[in-house]
Amino acid sequence: MKKTILETILNPRTLSVCFQPIFRVKDGSRQVDSLEALIRGPRHSNFSRADILFDYVRRKRAEAEVDQSCLIAICEAAVDLPQDMRLNVNVHASTLGHRSGFVDIFRREAKKRSLAFERFTLEIVEHAPTCNIPELSNSIAELRSSGVRIALDDVGLGQSNYRMMLDCAPDYFKVDAYFVRGLAEDSKRRAVIESLVALANALGSAVVAEAPGSEEDICQLLKLGVELMQANILCAAMPVQELQRLGLVGKPNASAATVAENRVMPELEYRRLHAQMAAGHTIYT
Amino acid sequence: MRAPYVGMADRVLIIDDDEQLVEAYRDYLSDAGYQVDCAQELEEAQTLLDYFTYSVVVTDLRLSKLEFGGLEVIKHIREHSLPTRIIVLTAYGWPELKAEASSSGADTFLRKPTRLKELGAAVGLLMGAEA
Repeated sequence: MKKTILETILNPRTLSVCFQPIFRVKDGSRQVDSLEALIRGPRHSNFSRADILFDYVRRKRAEAEVDQSCLIAICEAAVDLPQDMRLNVNVHASTLGHRSGFVDIFRREAKKRSLAFERFTLEIVEHAPTCNIPELSNSIAELRSSGVRIALDDVGLGQSNYRMMLDCAPDYFKVDAYFVRGLAEDSKRRAVIESLVALANALGSAVVAEAPGSEEDICQLLKLGVELMQANILCAAMPVQELQRLGLVGKPNASAATVAENRVMPELEYRRLHAQMAAGHTIYT
Repeated sequence: MRAPYVGMADRVLIIDDDEQLVEAYRDYLSDAGYQVDCAQELEEAQTLLDYFTYSVVVTDLRLSKLEFGGLEVIKHIREHSLPTRIIVLTAYGWPELKAEASSSGADTFLRKPTRLKELGAAVGLLMGAEA
């Protein structure tokens, strides 16, 4: 009998992984700080879109199993990245909070591929209102003790609230696109970002702005003290090989110096991608 | 069997856990010019209904582990006020069940096993097209 879509995606080989750079924009340069791993479901199916895929997964209450499947796919894809490239991986808070064994599996899969634990930042996402906070805190403490950093995803929306900021003590606030896009023309959005930057500073976290929509938004973010940004106008999510072709990341065995040089997005490529995005072309999404 | 081509790209969702039947329905309706998606279980169907607009949904009343999963599909469509017509397939002959599905918002009933031509005609009728 044909497998259900859930059975299909529980096989990591049916998933594909794209990486979207998070840039540090500073003093006129744009350097790749880290890469967020983004999962795509089975090709040529409606579930190739991540939003549809994960809505289905949450309906099936299969977050923990699918998070594990995604993690394995990501570790496999990360083998092709330089050994010092930082990696962001999404995980549901419920996966960490329900004794799912995720931390052990994470450790095993990373070790199997010689991926240093210290390279990883776990981005905690949550859509369900309830989560076992003590168990979540234990998992986070265990991950932290191994060198993993923690980010709180979609800050400002849903379950990424003040409580999660305190309970997860994230190293990064990833501020949701809703508050970022268009902030150049919206003083209320700027006020929200300003308050989040102040809060992050007070809690010892850094702010990552998700999806600024224009150069004006980027300028405003810099004025507000936000240097870390992730957006399609900077670079869309794409497979490792494409990032390497663009010179945004090096090969797995590249020396640190080579990789550091390559992390600055070539201006011409940036302009090309920017023009394509402005023309409404979808690039590797 | 080939269906008469209706020359339009209306979207149809077929929901049934019988893979062979689904494939037969899909091939027939695709040949007729419809854009066809398939789902084997309730959650898969609900997710697709949240993202895509379907002109017609064809659902079995019984979906794998759910005896009357088709009723849940109807409820989902009507609760979300989706502009979707519903064809219910069922092997059951119970009038009570038919009445419940009908009051929930099903537009057409077809008795299983359903002939492809009969299904095509029912879909075409609900689309307002000639089948």
